[in-house]
Amino acid sequence: MKGWVIGIDVGSLTTDAVIMDEDKRVLSFSIVDTGYNSTDAAREAMTVAAGRAGLELEDVSRLVATGYGRAAVPEANKRVTEIACHAAGAVYLFPDTEMVIDIGGQDSKVIKVGKDGRVQDFVMNDKCAAGTGRFLEVMSAKLKIPLDGMGDISISARGEAAISSVCTVFAESEVVSLVARNCPKEEIVKGIHRSVVNRVWAMTRQLRVSGGVTMTGGVAKNRGVVALMEERVGRRINVPDEPQIVGALGAALFALREK
Amino acid sequence: MHLDLETRTRKDYIREQKSLHGRKVMGVFPAQYPRELLLAMNILPVEIWDPPLRTREASAHLQSYICSVVSLGLELILQGKCSDLDAFLFPHTCDSIQNLASIVNDYLGIHKPCYFFYHPKAPYKRASRPYYISQLKELKSGLEKQFGELRETDLKRSVDRWEEIRKDISKCYLLRSEGRLNTSNRAFYSILRRVEYLHPDDFHPLLTNFLQSGRTETERQGHGVLLSGVLPNPPEVLDHLDAIGVRVVDDDLLSCSRRFLSGPVSNSDPYEAMAETYFSLPPCSTRGSAIEERLNHILKKIRSSRADGVIFLIVKFCEPEFFDVPILADSLKKEGIPVLVLENEINQALSGQIVTRIEAFAEMLG
Repeated sequence: MKGWVIGIDVGSLTTDAVIMDEDKRVLSFSIVDTGYNSTDAAREAMTVAAGRAGLELEDVSRLVATGYGRAAVPEANKRVTEIACHAAGAVYLFPDTEMVIDIGGQDSKVIKVGKDGRVQDFVMNDKCAAGTGRFLEVMSAKLKIPLDGMGDISISARGEAAISSVCTVFAESEVVSLVARNCPKEEIVKGIHRSVVNRVWAMTRQLRVSGGVTMTGGVAKNRGVVALMEERVGRRINVPDEPQIVGALGAALFALREK
Repeated sequence: MHLDLETRTRKDYIREQKSLHGRKVMGVFPAQYPRELLLAMNILPVEIWDPPLRTREASAHLQSYICSVVSLGLELILQGKCSDLDAFLFPHTCDSIQNLASIVNDYLGIHKPCYFFYHPKAPYKRASRPYYISQLKELKSGLEKQFGELRETDLKRSVDRWEEIRKDISKCYLLRSEGRLNTSNRAFYSILRRVEYLHPDDFHPLLTNFLQSGRTETERQGHGVLLSGVLPNPPEVLDHLDAIGVRVVDDDLLSCSRRFLSGPVSNSDPYEAMAETYFSLPPCSTRGSAIEERLNHILKKIRSSRADGVIFLIVKFCEPEFFDVPILADSLKKEGIPVLVLENEINQALSGQIVTRIEAFAEMLG
């Protein structure tokens, strides 16, 4: 049996798999839509990742599952929360990490992490979708701007629209009013990003961290949100090349630890 | 007896209490009230904390930002599910329950007597104790008009009985904190919460049997947490803690230890004894206790039970608790104690997010 392991993160929107060898090198990864069947999505993600690494699934010695659908992966040797996995993955990529900001599809998490990659404290949004990827999805649909184009648009904004509401539904009606007043779309998008950042910023303040900050989750791909978050925290933020797979990466690291 | 109580519904039990024992039944809203007084008058207090209902009618009378203890309590009345009750008692616990008392008594026209019980809030002064006793006597006088005269000897007997029960509840907590009461979290609170509606004749044997059968000499395995907040609810939280091997080793819950774990009574006068009980109860947000007192109390419990962390189970929009919880959580964290704050509606199902937070908290404990 070789020392390859798989970490799999079954999230609300995507399911991600990372294959790692025993020297902690990432051999391959995959990102597939979760859809309505988490078990099938997990199998697909693992098969795709294994194929990319030139492996068969039988070659993998250990599997750790994380994410909301972690219970739906029957092959898993162990299940670990995405909070612990994002922390472990972020510290692996950026050893100076003391705080992880994970803005995912349905929730946001701010995690205080020790140098050993262990979680010391965490905060999650528990009121509504504001401050999550879902909020950006709703706004993207309303403005008819592709989700992955929102970051570049907001970076080019000269001004910024004020989105005062912290509720997705009410914010949407504010956006409608701004559109009706012919407010430039760049400014609206920047205002939307500011709204997300303010929401998450309130969570980060509860943890009082002064060291390195790493952003994970799909929203970390949005340059506009990252720029505004950096402005807020007053320092550069670490952003992985593939922020979506950090949870799966952490799960793979747990799989190695458990071997 | 035990199995019988397991299978009987609360409604059946109440009806049986009336028909077999000729007892009157009082619907009692949270939290602190002189149950000894009611029982001495052959009135069974049935507490209304978390009726298993969905809010339908109550929204017409209440603001949307009201706690679900109040909204579900009102819902219970509005859905006509209180027909077996002879009266209601509203202790002065918080503004929301005060307002509920006013809605029920002044506006609904339900034609059931409503009683009110005011108790002094901390910081206690010299007048607090005489005031408390005067309120006990005023409540007694009011009840006598509907339910007949209270004999002093019955009250004395009832006070002594409750004192015995409280001692056994304290024993349960002590054994639990020492890891020598080996039952699931769900079973522990399922038994304790029967005090909310069972007569002492039924509750006390159940409790003593539980104490004997659950007792063990084996050491606690896994992590232990202290629960604070309002109720051990939703019970699925307890189930989930059981499933991941986390034991609730003690609590600071309003519905549980904060109402039961008072000091021993030495006074032979029943009113003085009831006052002694009241003023020696653990600090509580609904009795205006200073935050330092609450913090010290929780820290003491953490030390004695060797709890690894604290979980606050807060009912959404519970004003008294939300004044204290941010400060308590922050102070505990500064002491290096892991804290998890969960905010939930009473009958809300356990979401995936809450499951994740509980599991992540357990992982954090090591």
